[in-house]
Amino acid sequence: MVIKVMQIILSPILALVVGVFFLGLARKIMARIHWRYGPPLIQPVIDMIRLFYQKSASHGRMFDLGIIISLAGSIVVILFLPFGRICPLSSSGGLLVILYMMLLAPLGIALSGGQGANPNISIGISRKLILSLGYEVPLLLVLLAVMTRYKTISIVEVANAQQSTGWSIISWPLFLSGLSYFLILPAILGIRPFDVSSAPQEISSGPMVEYGGKYLALATIEHAFVLFISIALFVNLFLGGADNPVIFFVKMLVVFVLSLFIHAVLPRLRIEQAIKYLWKWPTLLAFVGLIITLMIK
Amino acid sequence: MSLEILIIFAFGGALLTYLLGKTSEKIRDFLAVAISLSLVAFVACLYGKSPEKTFYSGFLGLGLVLRLNMLSWLFAITIAVVGALSIIFSLSYIRAREKTDFYFLMMLLVNAAMLGIVLAGDLISFYIFWEIMSWSAFLLISYNKGPALAAGMKYIIMSIIGSLSFLVGMLSLYVSFDTLNISQIAPVITSASPAYILFILTAFGISFGIKNAVLPFHTWLPDAHSEAPAPFSAVLSGILIKMGTYGFVLILYVMVGLKLFLSLGHGLFSFRYILCALGAVTILIPSFIAVLQDDAKRLLAWSTVGQAGYIILGIAFGTNLALAGGIFHFFNHAMFKALLFLAVGAVEFRTQTRDLDSLGGLAKKMPVVFIATLVGIFALIGVPLTSGFVSKWLIYKTLILEGSPFLAFFALAGTWGTILYSYKLIHNVFLGQLPEKYKDIQKSPLSMQLPMIVLSVAILLFGILPGIPLKVIDAIGTSFGFESLNITLWGITSETGTLNTINIFSAVLVTGLIVWMLFRLGAKSVSIPQEDSYAAGAHTPADKYHYTTEFYNPLHRMIKPFLRDVIDEFYYWIAASVQRLCCGVRHIYAGDIGYYVTYIILFLALLIFIQLKWKPW
Repeated sequence: MVIKVMQIILSPILALVVGVFFLGLARKIMARIHWRYGPPLIQPVIDMIRLFYQKSASHGRMFDLGIIISLAGSIVVILFLPFGRICPLSSSGGLLVILYMMLLAPLGIALSGGQGANPNISIGISRKLILSLGYEVPLLLVLLAVMTRYKTISIVEVANAQQSTGWSIISWPLFLSGLSYFLILPAILGIRPFDVSSAPQEISSGPMVEYGGKYLALATIEHAFVLFISIALFVNLFLGGADNPVIFFVKMLVVFVLSLFIHAVLPRLRIEQAIKYLWKWPTLLAFVGLIITLMIK
Repeated sequence: MSLEILIIFAFGGALLTYLLGKTSEKIRDFLAVAISLSLVAFVACLYGKSPEKTFYSGFLGLGLVLRLNMLSWLFAITIAVVGALSIIFSLSYIRAREKTDFYFLMMLLVNAAMLGIVLAGDLISFYIFWEIMSWSAFLLISYNKGPALAAGMKYIIMSIIGSLSFLVGMLSLYVSFDTLNISQIAPVITSASPAYILFILTAFGISFGIKNAVLPFHTWLPDAHSEAPAPFSAVLSGILIKMGTYGFVLILYVMVGLKLFLSLGHGLFSFRYILCALGAVTILIPSFIAVLQDDAKRLLAWSTVGQAGYIILGIAFGTNLALAGGIFHFFNHAMFKALLFLAVGAVEFRTQTRDLDSLGGLAKKMPVVFIATLVGIFALIGVPLTSGFVSKWLIYKTLILEGSPFLAFFALAGTWGTILYSYKLIHNVFLGQLPEKYKDIQKSPLSMQLPMIVLSVAILLFGILPGIPLKVIDAIGTSFGFESLNITLWGITSETGTLNTINIFSAVLVTGLIVWMLFRLGAKSVSIPQEDSYAAGAHTPADKYHYTTEFYNPLHRMIKPFLRDVIDEFYYWIAASVQRLCCGVRHIYAGDIGYYVTYIILFLALLIFIQLKWKPW
C-alpha cells in the first residue's frame, strides 16, 4: 500500500523531470546541429519559474479550466503508463483508457484557447485537430496490431510479454507497425516538420498565443508530459519496456534523440502536405503490419 | 398496476391534454408535465416485474398481448424519462408558436406509442403502435412548415416502405406458424430452414434499419432531425430511432435466438458479419460527413447516424460484452444526444439561428447551456468518467479480443471524427468571439435549464458508477442465454482486462485538485475583454471578421470530394425517374373524345390481328 502511494506520487514527478530534461536537451541539440551554442540545459526550468511569478491575462473561466483539464489529463495518463516496473494504476481499462485520456491534453488546450477569441488560436486549433486526425489513423492501426498480437488490451501485459519473447520491433510481425509509429512520432510530439499548429513564425504559436505568465508555464509542463507520454508509449509497446527506470530512460533518450535529428533538418510542412504524408506511408505500413499480424495469429 | 392501465393512461392523457388545452394553456401545460412525469414513476414502479396480459383476443383469433421484461423495461424507462424532459423543455420553447395544443397532443402520443411498442408481446400490436408512432412523428417533423414539409414527406415515404416490409415479414410468419405472439414463435422458428430465417430477418431488418438509420437507409434522418422542433429532435434522435434498435434486439435475440442467429452463414458472409460491417460503415462515413456541416442540428443529426452505427455494431457482433456495450450505448446516446439537441434548441430559442458560422462566444451569456453541452460532447466523444466511455470501451474491447481489429478500427476512427465535429460544435457556438448582436442576450428560462441539468448529472453519475445500468443490461444479456458479466459498481472485472472507474475518478479528482492548487499558487491573472487580444500590433475592429467561419477548411478541401451522399442522390434519382415516367403516362389522357375512340379502334384492330395471325381463341 505504502509502495503504491509512493509510486503514485513519484511517477508524475519522475515524468516531469524527464520531460523537462528532454525540452532542454532538444534546444541544446538543435542549436548544435545549427552550429549555435544554445541555451543551458536547465533553461526551461528557469523560464518556468520566472513565468510563474509574472502577471498574466485571462479570457474567462474556460480559459483557466481548459489548461487545468489538459494538465490533469496528462498526469492521469502517466499514472496508467508503466515506467520501468513502476505502474501505479495498472488494472483500470488498459491501453483503451490511455488512448482516451491522451485526448484530454489537446482537448483541454483547445477548449481553453477557444475562449481566447483570437484568429491565430482558431487557425492553430483547427490545424491541431486535423493533424491529430492525421496521425491517429496510423496510430490506431499500430495499436490494434499490438493488441491483436498479444491478445490483451493491457499495456502492462504487452510490456511483460516482451520480456520473454523479445522486443516487438524486432519480431517481424510488428516490425512494420513499429516503424510506422516511429515515422509519426514527430507528428504526435508536434515538432517539425509537423509543427503546423504552433508554427511560431506564421501564427504566433497558435493555441498558445494568448497565454502568458503561469498559463505559459503550465502549458510548457504539459508539453513536457506529452513528450514523455508519446515516447514512453513507444518504448513500452515496441522496445520491450524495461526492468528498471534507468534502462527505460536510456531507451527513451535514444528514441527522442533519433527523432530530434529528423526534427532539426526538415522544414515545416503545410497541413495538407502533412495529412497526405501521414495517410500515405505510415498508414500503409501500419495497415500491412496489421494484416500480417492477423495472418499469423 | 397492470400494463393496459399504463397504455390507456398514456393515450388517454394525450387526448385529455388536447381537449383541456382548448380551455386554458396553464391547465394544458400542467397536465402534459404531470402525465409525462407520472409515466416515469409508473414505469419505474414496474422494475423487476414481468407481467403478461392478453388485452384483446378477438382480432382474427389472435390475442393482442402486452408484456414486460428487463429489455422492455430499460427501453420504457428511457422513453419515459427523455419524453418527460423534452415536454418540460417544450413549455417555454413552444409557447409563442401556433397550434400548441396539437403539438403537445402529438408529443404525448409519440411517447405513448413508443411505450406501446416496447410493451407489445405480439407483432400485431407492435405494428399498430409502430404506425401510430410513425404518423405522429411525421406530423411533428412537419410542424415548422417550409422545408420541414419536404423533410417530413421524405421521412414518411421511407417509413411506409419500412412498414410494408414489416407487414410482409409478419404475414409470412403468420402463414408459416399460425401465431404472431413473439414468445410462441421463438420455440418453433428453430425448425425453419436458414433461407427462410434469412428472409424473415431481411424483411424485418429493412423496416428496423430504416427507423434506426443504418446505411443505406439513413437518408431521411439528417433532414428530419434538423427541421423538427428542437424538443422533438431530442425525442427523435434519443429514443424514436432507437425503436429500430429495440426491433433488432427483439428479432435477433428474442425471436430467432442467439444460437440460430450466430449460425447463419460462414465467416465473412454470415448474416452477423454483414450486419457488423454495415454498422461499421454507418459509424465511419456519417461521422466525417458531420464534420462538414455548418448547421448545428444537421451536424448533430449526422452524428446520430454515426452513433447508431455503434449500437448496431454492438448488437450484431453477438458476444455478451458487445451486446452489453450496444444496449448501454443506446441508453447513453438517448441521454447525451437528447441533451445536445436541447442545448442547441436553447441557443436557437435565444438567437434564432443555428448557423455555426455566425454564432460564437455564448459561454459567458448562457453558462448552464454551455456546461451541459460540454458534458454532452464529452459523453459523445467517450471521455472517461462520462457514461459514453464505458459503452464504447465494452464494444472496442470485445472487437479487439475477438480478433476483429478492422471493425475496431472503423469504430475508433469514427471516434476521431466525433472529436472534430464535437469541438466544432462547442467552439463555434460557445467559444470564440461574441458577435455584437448577441451582447445583450438573456439566459435560458428555467424550464429549459432543468432538463439539461438532469441529463448532465445522469451522464456523469452513470459514467462514474456504470454498475447501476450495467446490472440491468447484464440481466438482459443472461435472459438471452449469455454468460453473466462480472459487474461491480465501478465497472467490470475480468481476466482479459478490468475496467475500474473509481481508479480513474479518484486519479482525475486528485490530480485536478493538485493542478488547480498549482494554478492558484502562480501570480494572479487579470480578466480582460475579448477585444484585447494579441494581433501582432495590427488593430482589428470589433465584428469585422468572424474567425470561426469555415473552421476545418483544409480538411474540407481534402475529404469533401469523397463524402458525397451518393445513396441520397440515388433515391432522388429514382423518385425523379418515377415522376417522369408517370408524367409520360399521363399524356395518353388527352381529354379529347377523338383520341379515346382512336385508342379503342386501335386496340380492337390489335385483337383482330392477333386472332387472324395466331388463332389463340
